[in-house]
Amino acid sequence: MSLLNLPMHRVILGAAAVLAIPVLGCGGDGSPPSGPGNQVQIVKQSGDAQTGPLGGTAQPYRVKVTDENGFGKPGVAVSWTIVCGAGAISADTSVTDASGVASITATLPAAAGAQSVTASVAGASGSPVLFTSRASAPGAFAVSGGGNNVPERYSSDLWVAGGYAYTGTWNWYQRTSGVLGQVKIFQLGTGGAPTLIDSVSLANVVTVSDLQVSPDGQWLVVTAEGGSAEGLYVYSLADPAHPAQQAFYGVGTGLHTGSLSVIGGKLYAFTAKNPGSPALMIFDLSDLANGNITLASSTPIPPNYGIHDTFIRDGICFAFVWNEGVYIYDVGKGVAGGSPQAPVQLGSVKTSGGEAHNGWWFWNPVTGEKRYLFVGQEGPGAVGSSSSGDIHVVDVSDLTAPKEVGTYHMQGAGTHNFWMDEARQRLYAAYYNGGVVALDVSCDLAGDLGFREIARIQPGGSGQTYTWGVMLSGSSLYAIDMLSGLWQLAVP
Amino acid sequence: MMLRLLASGGIAVLLAVPRGNLAAQDRFWGRLMGQAILDGTHVDPVPGGGSLTEVRVTQPVLIAEAGALNDHLAFAGTLDLEGLTIPNGELLPGGWGEGYTDRRHPHTYAHELMLSGKDLLGPLGVPLRLSISAGKGFVPFGSDDPMSRPVYRYPVNHHLAQILERAVAMAGVRSGPVLVEGAIFNGDEPERPGEWPPLRRFGDSWSTRLTLLPIAGLELSVSRAKVHSPEHRPGAGTDAWKWHTAARLDRAVAGGRLYALAEWARTSEAEGFFVFHSLLGETSFEKGRHQPYYRFERSDRPEDIRTTDPFRSLRPHLENSIIGITRFTLHTFGYSYALQAASGRLAVRPYAEGTLGRMESVGGGIFSPANFYGKETVAAVSIGIRVEWRMAGHRMGRYGGLLEPPGDSMHDHMM
Repeated sequence: MSLLNLPMHRVILGAAAVLAIPVLGCGGDGSPPSGPGNQVQIVKQSGDAQTGPLGGTAQPYRVKVTDENGFGKPGVAVSWTIVCGAGAISADTSVTDASGVASITATLPAAAGAQSVTASVAGASGSPVLFTSRASAPGAFAVSGGGNNVPERYSSDLWVAGGYAYTGTWNWYQRTSGVLGQVKIFQLGTGGAPTLIDSVSLANVVTVSDLQVSPDGQWLVVTAEGGSAEGLYVYSLADPAHPAQQAFYGVGTGLHTGSLSVIGGKLYAFTAKNPGSPALMIFDLSDLANGNITLASSTPIPPNYGIHDTFIRDGICFAFVWNEGVYIYDVGKGVAGGSPQAPVQLGSVKTSGGEAHNGWWFWNPVTGEKRYLFVGQEGPGAVGSSSSGDIHVVDVSDLTAPKEVGTYHMQGAGTHNFWMDEARQRLYAAYYNGGVVALDVSCDLAGDLGFREIARIQPGGSGQTYTWGVMLSGSSLYAIDMLSGLWQLAVP
Repeated sequence: MMLRLLASGGIAVLLAVPRGNLAAQDRFWGRLMGQAILDGTHVDPVPGGGSLTEVRVTQPVLIAEAGALNDHLAFAGTLDLEGLTIPNGELLPGGWGEGYTDRRHPHTYAHELMLSGKDLLGPLGVPLRLSISAGKGFVPFGSDDPMSRPVYRYPVNHHLAQILERAVAMAGVRSGPVLVEGAIFNGDEPERPGEWPPLRRFGDSWSTRLTLLPIAGLELSVSRAKVHSPEHRPGAGTDAWKWHTAARLDRAVAGGRLYALAEWARTSEAEGFFVFHSLLGETSFEKGRHQPYYRFERSDRPEDIRTTDPFRSLRPHLENSIIGITRFTLHTFGYSYALQAASGRLAVRPYAEGTLGRMESVGGGIFSPANFYGKETVAAVSIGIRVEWRMAGHRMGRYGGLLEPPGDSMHDHMM
């Protein structure tokens, strides 16, 4: 970044900082800078975020303890504890040397997964210090079936249920033929390989932006944008191979995404109304048998590109609202009296870089924690060839005060939709031109999660991959790619 | 100054009329100009393939200029009625911006509405000319509006080489041949002819332009601007960082008037994720009634997703992605012939103009000119008549009188 790119106030502050160095620095007498609060401090020196073989020995974990004047403090006992994951450490306690450094070595878990270790000094600022490393088993994605099966249109989202996969089409730019949005129906073979068996066109709709099958398998719910018939469509899956339209609710400006959730015994669709007048629109789908869709509520969202996606779990709705970040609503959990008819906002967080697009609230069955929300950032891209945007990890232990704690960045690509294998503590993320990536999200998540990458794949190959979304079904991961269609992948 | 409201042809205009003796004229002056173009344009190809011919009235503008306080106070206003005559835009190969694509957007009704304090240091005897201007208009960046240039057809780089129709506050200072301008303004582009800049966004963008005037008729300029979220009015879009440099010549040569412009522009968006370049050169020579002209242009255009109307891009955007970048390389040739009446105040200029060129994808994305238009070559022919009333000397985008030679007075404005 050149100086000309910097905001003027930053230039001024920077200049002031440079001028202040001689004044605020060592003072010319060689004295060290004081530590924060003039107290004993413990800081990480090296060893964090390693990946090694199963049962291997990690590079030493090192911390440095400094005194109230910032000098290394020798002779301090540092306590080490494995707080998550398996493996072992060389000692529970180590003592700082003459320079204030203490270290141990760790043995990584014998099975694939992370190990978190803390280093603590009672009363020290910065204590405890967290180290996380990962034991990695050899493995890679593999294509099991599918691919290159929607040549005339660009594909959008997917859902897999009951032996079928349903995918949408993105028609904002015509590929070879067909200007109408469609739902493609794939039958999954005994091994899970998809075969296209039918297509349902949505008259006067440009793009099928999202779709999902209801938990009872009766309904396929579709959001549509572009054209003169934008809105919410519901299809009966009485014949799952040939969905039949059951209900429609028109929404001018269109719906970008929708998520289904059963709250109080009723099925609701949480939808993202497009810019123009963006809103979280919640529909009551409890009377679909009679063809009725009822608007339960519509909550305006600031027009900062508005709302892109939602994630609903246990009566909590996370709305991903672009540069406004993530809004968290009680829509039936009971913590603030919210309901689908009257959502109550609990908290919000602005993830770094903005462009909050989608997410997944991770309930970790191994640790029992419901601590992390993964947020997808959708940065700029050239559809079909380039993309940008990271995965942001938000600690939502306190839903009223969420805070970002980590990120994952893939060079040269940006993330889109997620799926999780929570039992295996894995996050699968579609990454547009980057394909699909699998991350180990076991144990504590903080900082740069790059070392947690298990594997990645470009299903269509380089130059023919622009993956929109993924979904795990059985032992297969299904990936829908805008360019190369629906794929069945074997996971690492 | 006496103001008279005149009604003519159903259009009311406010006209500033000089009154009284010369001493009074020293305090106030005003003039009204106007033009309209009846144009027929044929373009091949258009979106979806094939060709299209349209006849429209374009650039119907009324321009009011006025001065007061011994020309220390100046007003420039341009009423543009394209919202009425071309509400769906004007056929233009490579055209884009403000929600239109392959068409030029209609300008807002209040195209310019600028008030300037000129030569503010003059009474103090300071050897600097300082001006401040505020209102709605062009920001000090890039080159003149294509409307005030010889070639009829707008260039593809309109939104790379000009920043227009903003609420702007600017200051300029000139010392000898050096002129420096700076401005703050609202970054968003208008989306409808009747739209006004949102005041809450005023000041979120800035620009600066350095102009050197080494010899009479020659201008060398370099501009820099940061434009916040130009494509998204609420402000969630990415920033555009813009460079522009130009050399402009306009002087008498061999009994005629030679005009030439060479410009280069670069716009970087989303922290460099998208970069658009433009290189343009154009020239004309006007002698007697004849004015041949030529333009070469190679400019990049972002390809946004379009609505079901293939000439419109989706507004507001859903996100910051595009579907490709198209580079237009165009040659435009033209000739106009001037017929004058009313002692030269009325000019009628029939013209014929042709454009040939090609389109190519650069920088990736799914957009393919061959797929979208059916071919990668482009041709356009225009025939029309430009009718001008007192149109002379109004350079859209230059306010505060800093280009005028020292000592120029309001009498130079009188016609």
